[in-house]
Amino acid sequence: MALVLIYSFVRFSSGYTGGFISRVSYSLAPSIGINFSTGVSGFTDALLILSVIVIFISTLIAEKKELDRVMFSYILTTESGLIGVLISRDFLFFYIFWEVVLIPVYFMIAQFGSFRKESVGLKFFVYTHIGSVFLLLSIFAVYTYHFDQTGVLTFQIGSLMTNSTFSYMPVFWRDFTIFGFLFAFLVKMPVFPLHSWLPDSYESAPYPATVILSGGLSLMGGLGLFGILLPVTQSLGTFVLSFLIALGIISLVYFALAAMMQSSLKRMMALASAASMGFVVLAFGAGGLETGYEKTLELSGGMFQIVAHGLIMAFVFSALYFIKRSTGKENIHEMGGIFRETPFLASFLLAGLLASLGLPGMAGFIGEFSVLVGSFQAIGWVILLVIFGMILTASYHIWAAQRSLYGPYNENLGRIRDSGTYQTVVLGASLVVILILGIFPNLLFGLLTAYTGGL
Amino acid sequence: MSSIDLGIGSTATFIHLIPEIFLGLLGFAILWTGVRNIGERAISWITFSGLGIAALLVFFLDPSSGSAYSGVMVFNNFGKYFAIIMLISSMFICYPFSTKNYSKSEIFYSTLLFLNVGMVVAAFSYNLIALFIAFESVSIGTYVLSSFGKTRRNLEASIKYFFTGTIATAFILFGASFYYLGTGTFSISSSALSHVINSPEITIALAFLIIGFGFKLALFPFHQWALDTYDGTENSVSAFLAAGSKILAFMVILKVFLSGFAFDHTAVFYLFVILSIITMTYGNISALSQSNLKRILSYSSIAQAGYLVLVLAVVAGSGSPTSTVSEFAIAAGMFYSLVYIFMKGGAFITMNAVPKDNVELEDVSGLGKRSPATAVSLSVIMLALAGIPLTGGFLAKYYLFLALIEGSLWWLAVIAILNSAISVFYYFRVITYMFARDPKEGDGAVPFSAKAPVVAAAIITIALFFIGIIASFMPTLISAAGGIFG
Repeated sequence: MALVLIYSFVRFSSGYTGGFISRVSYSLAPSIGINFSTGVSGFTDALLILSVIVIFISTLIAEKKELDRVMFSYILTTESGLIGVLISRDFLFFYIFWEVVLIPVYFMIAQFGSFRKESVGLKFFVYTHIGSVFLLLSIFAVYTYHFDQTGVLTFQIGSLMTNSTFSYMPVFWRDFTIFGFLFAFLVKMPVFPLHSWLPDSYESAPYPATVILSGGLSLMGGLGLFGILLPVTQSLGTFVLSFLIALGIISLVYFALAAMMQSSLKRMMALASAASMGFVVLAFGAGGLETGYEKTLELSGGMFQIVAHGLIMAFVFSALYFIKRSTGKENIHEMGGIFRETPFLASFLLAGLLASLGLPGMAGFIGEFSVLVGSFQAIGWVILLVIFGMILTASYHIWAAQRSLYGPYNENLGRIRDSGTYQTVVLGASLVVILILGIFPNLLFGLLTAYTGGL
Repeated sequence: MSSIDLGIGSTATFIHLIPEIFLGLLGFAILWTGVRNIGERAISWITFSGLGIAALLVFFLDPSSGSAYSGVMVFNNFGKYFAIIMLISSMFICYPFSTKNYSKSEIFYSTLLFLNVGMVVAAFSYNLIALFIAFESVSIGTYVLSSFGKTRRNLEASIKYFFTGTIATAFILFGASFYYLGTGTFSISSSALSHVINSPEITIALAFLIIGFGFKLALFPFHQWALDTYDGTENSVSAFLAAGSKILAFMVILKVFLSGFAFDHTAVFYLFVILSIITMTYGNISALSQSNLKRILSYSSIAQAGYLVLVLAVVAGSGSPTSTVSEFAIAAGMFYSLVYIFMKGGAFITMNAVPKDNVELEDVSGLGKRSPATAVSLSVIMLALAGIPLTGGFLAKYYLFLALIEGSLWWLAVIAILNSAISVFYYFRVITYMFARDPKEGDGAVPFSAKAPVVAAAIITIALFFIGIIASFMPTLISAAGGIFG
């Protein structure tokens, strides 16, 4: 993990101008176009850093007392899958790693989940697997037509995902391919009609797995949109992009409303996580329709939002975990006024909630703000709906904080322990990262803008 | 070795029959050991290594000599590949660490060797009569094998299998005679059939042959025997029935319907599209509601047969049997067969870990705690059957679906891939039972004899993933695939 960090600092510290660097490529079976090739762009590098941080936090809150040692092997398998997805530049291996990530997460839920763990785990796996198989069919379709067009058999993402390949394909196959790609990526995000696996999985999963789900797996959806589909936005067409914008806004509002109704903090934050991924979809859709400065701002904002969302969710869920551990509760009604007994933990959770609602100064604000500013060109006054969603988001976050953390103390809880040194260090360090990104967004924004501009 | 010319235009030599002769002689030798009473362990070792040697002998056959014995046998890489696969799948049935005690074990093992002669002959023959005889010798052998065991269940399974199997045999014979009526020859080598025009006799032959051969492959309307037989027979025998015997039927179907009906691919296309869709859908949906583990595996092997015959749909649908797409599809089917014998054989062999006849899902609960090696291996095999990456099963499905897309059969690919997604449910149910539940009282550790073959099968399944990607394995198969047309 440290290796990835050092590596990315060395390679990206100066003079990155977009595109992919550091390709490694091995030809495995050239006659049917199988290569193992890797490469990292500014965007995937940001996601790499995010994924290692998220996995690191996840290992920190996986405590040996409660979970089997095998948990750590699941976490590390997930990490290798994630890194594999991020660095693959060949569709075959991209798909393989894409699927590999699912298996350990399934096991984490099925073995250590809190309620209905078997059926929830299965639901998660089958749902996302159906998404994946459509991805596979789409890959095959692009592969076949690319061969038709150029006579070259290759699974290279860079050569397949081009507008010329897409415009060569017959209309039906192009739509089929686009549908397959979008379906796979939107299930992972998830957006509005494809989300039913999400609340159950997030809630039932043990906290380390929830952290991975919110920080790591939603990242894969974002990677699919911005890493795979971005070069072919022209081929998607106005209708699809507008549809994506609509989906993004609907998710934002719908998940905010659904989150407001939840009594479990964990489930509420699960829906909040889905709501903030709505911004990412919105950014992708709107960015595809725009030009010039707004396009860059919009797309970079969307990508920044993926990173910020992952960090914030990892932070919120780990704070929730520590609260759950000292109070034994995660329902809003069962808590109440715990600030009196655990001022540190309660403040950390409040900071997480504020970050999640997009308070200026925190990482979440930058992404949402730039998406909001950028979108105006594409969607005009519809942006009021987005703002409405943001107001909803803010209100239920504050409302939940008020009911669970402040107010009269719920005496049923008895005396509870506040955070020890360990918890403070873990949470404090994550919070510092969020604050740094909120105050100096250009650390990341520059990288992302260069990636957008380099395309 | 002197070369013996046995037919007009024959270029092959006697040397090509050495594997068959070796297996036959070894079978008689095993029968003779029954008189000397040397013990079952020794006999199973001899059979095991004999099958291995036969596989090596087949491997070193010279495929360049082409057809022999008036075109009855054609020695090419396609036949060699399937002969080796089927010999390996027979090795599952007689792995030497087995603790099963058969009465008159020499009969069991010599029957196995004799039916392997039939398998090797079937792999190389391109004549409906020779194919029928080879196929039948295998069937009769499996009727005997499935009746071995101590209980009435074994006998019942065998009788069911025998009676329905005999009817299928009659259908094959009837179909073969109509085939002769329509084409004027028993040869199914496509070069001999170029001039044949379509006629009613051919349609009748097509229908009757698919009933006969589809029975062995357990395609949907002809599958009912498979459930009872797999469930009732002893585990290693059902492993063989589901793996080796099925691959034999698949290979015969490939040859008869792609090469033998090369002049009329339209009917073949529609037939196999319908059969594959209903077979895989039926198999997958029925497996969902089962709680008997062996029945789940039986239904899953019906579903897998549905995937296998997709190959015929692609080739027949592509219009030209020698195009790149067709060869790729056949190669995908060949790779699938190779992975399939390890997945399915390994899965059925695992049932040995539960020392009872009727293996329910509850019986494997907590296997992850009782015997991690077995549980992890069985999980690998289940993941392979479901087509999840890092197992050979993924790559097999990958090539198959790629062939479907290349053949522009997107709707078939969507149906197949949704089926594959449905199947995840019941495969993962098994995994969930093993890892998420606690063991029942009184279940002990799994003995080595039950563990070893499963672990081996799981390791091979993973190894096949890397072999399939890294080596130039697929290109080799593609070049061998053309041999199907004789």
